Formats: sequence, structure tokens, C-alpha cells
Amino acid sequence: MSITDQLLAALVDYGVPLLFAVITISSVGVPFPVSMTLVAAGSFAQRGEMNLLPVIVAGSLAAILGDQIGYGLSRWAGRRLVVRISRRMGSEDKIKKAEALSKKWGGPGIFFSRWLVTQLGPWINVTSGIAGYPWRRFILWDVLGEVLWVVLYVMLGYIFSDRVQYISEILGNLGWAIFAFIISTILGWKLFRYFRPAASLTGVANG
Amino acid sequence: MKNFGWKQGVVALAFLLSVSVAIFFVVRAVRPIIYWHYHQDEPIRDWMNVGYVAHSYHVPSHVLYQALGLPHKPPDRRPLREIAKAQNRSMDEIRTVLLDAIVHARPPYPPPSPPPRDPRASP
Repeated sequence: MSITDQLLAALVDYGVPLLFAVITISSVGVPFPVSMTLVAAGSFAQRGEMNLLPVIVAGSLAAILGDQIGYGLSRWAGRRLVVRISRRMGSEDKIKKAEALSKKWGGPGIFFSRWLVTQLGPWINVTSGIAGYPWRRFILWDVLGEVLWVVLYVMLGYIFSDRVQYISEILGNLGWAIFAFIISTILGWKLFRYFRPAASLTGVANG
Repeated sequence: MKNFGWKQGVVALAFLLSVSVAIFFVVRAVRPIIYWHYHQDEPIRDWMNVGYVAHSYHVPSHVLYQALGLPHKPPDRRPLREIAKAQNRSMDEIRTVLLDAIVHARPPYPPPSPPPRDPRASP
């Protein structure tokens, strides 16, 4: 029996406490099929086997708690380690660059990795902590994104309560498609930047 | 124009690879949406309970409880793997019993009879 089947069978038996534990652990970075668990919880709520409000509240709180653990550990332990290593290697400027990049793009990165590209969520927690992204701003984007994620997935399970597996399959594939699209955009932008100066120089020469 | 060095080659290759992966997953995501009406029945899995199977296959739940020799009230919410274990049957056997009951609860067979009355219920 697959881990997904075991998890969902346990969800039928243990309900909201299990949902809370699984989402917390997965938000820290342990790969659990948590999206399908949320969709299934929505379906169980529609059929009266679970209550919708506790599912949404517990799911959101668990996700936020897991993210805070990931961020906190990276900020207080990971950051010290990275600073120490970079001092030894004489590459402190790279940390400053990472901090600046995190301050500039951190907010949207945190928000979209909560609900749209959930595969990146635990990594963004770690990078935000190491780069010293301000905690108050982190928790603001985190709460917005996680509540949206839980409500969206649970409600999809609630609305399409007879097709838990299809919905989870579609969401999982869409997540990977968006992830691959983001990577393609970054790589495409790198290639474009490499060839752009030559093009602009030609433009100047012609003008 | 700038030279196309080995670094740009690696980036271009990675770019093509990631675009291919994106297209692959888009196709996989869109296919179930296109065939939404044709693939209504989900495969019966260990984690499902009788209530979910009945809901997913759009048949009355008492028909499935009856097929498994279980009372329909109060509804048994155990996952199928637990029912299989308790009845000393394999999951394949449980699946076959359920699918057979589902086939007979749908057209062209006549609609199933209403659930038997609970003997404990007051008249």
C-alpha cells in the first residue's frame, strides 16, 4: 500500500489531529502527499465525515506553524553556519547580495510558493531564514498564502467530492508544470540577457 | 553576435529540457479535464470507505454495505483495507464484490430497492 493510501486511510480514522500533524511536518520539508490529503478532507467534509471549519482552521494553522519552524531553524542555525562559512571563504558580499535579492523578491516568492508552486514552499522558508528576510513580513505573506492554499484545496475537494483522485492528479501536474515554467523563464531570461548587449550595440552602431 | 560557448550550451539545453517538462505536465493536467465526463469512475483504493465509493460511483450506499455483509446503519466509516482485514479477505476480493454490486445497481439493471428499515427504529 502506498504512503498516500496509508495517509488517507489514517485520515478517515483520526481526522483533524492527523491532518494537523501531517501538514505541519510537510511544511517543515518532509515530502508527504499533503495536497491530496487536503482535497480528501474537503470531500469528507462534504459527506459529513469531517467538519469543514475545523479542517480549514487546523490546516491553515498547521501550515503556518510548519513554515515558522522551517524559517526559524534556518534563521538562527542555518544563517550562523552560512555566515561562518562565507567569512572563512571570504565571500561575505554574496550574503549581502542574497539579502538584497530576498528583500526585493521575497514577498511574492513566499506568497506564491504557499499555494501555487507548493513544491518550493519548504525551500523558500529556508532561503528566507538564511537571507534574514524580516520575520514580520515573512509571516504576513505566509498567512495570506497558506490560508489561500488550504481554502482552495479543501473547497476543490468539497465541490468535486466524488473525484478526489482526479482533482489531486490535476493539481499535482499543474504544480509541476508551473514549477517547470518558472525554471524555463529564468533560463530563457539568462539566455536573452547574454545575447541582448550584442543586439543593443548593433542598434547603437546603426543609429 | 556573441559566441555560443559551452556555458550557453548547457543553459540552452536546460531551457529546452524544462520547457519539455512543462509541456509534459500541462498535457497530463489537461487530459483529465478534457475527458472529465468519460472517466467518472475512480479506481477503488484501500483508503476509501464504503460511503466514499458509493458517493464517487453514484450508487446508494446501502447496496454496497449489503454486498459486503455490513449493516448500513450506523454507517461503517472504516477504510476498505480495515474491512478487508476484519473479514479476512484480500483487497482484490473486496474490490470485485463492490464493482459487481455497482454494476447491478446501475442501468440496464432495475434501480436497487430502498434500504431495509432499521429494526431498532421506532414505527
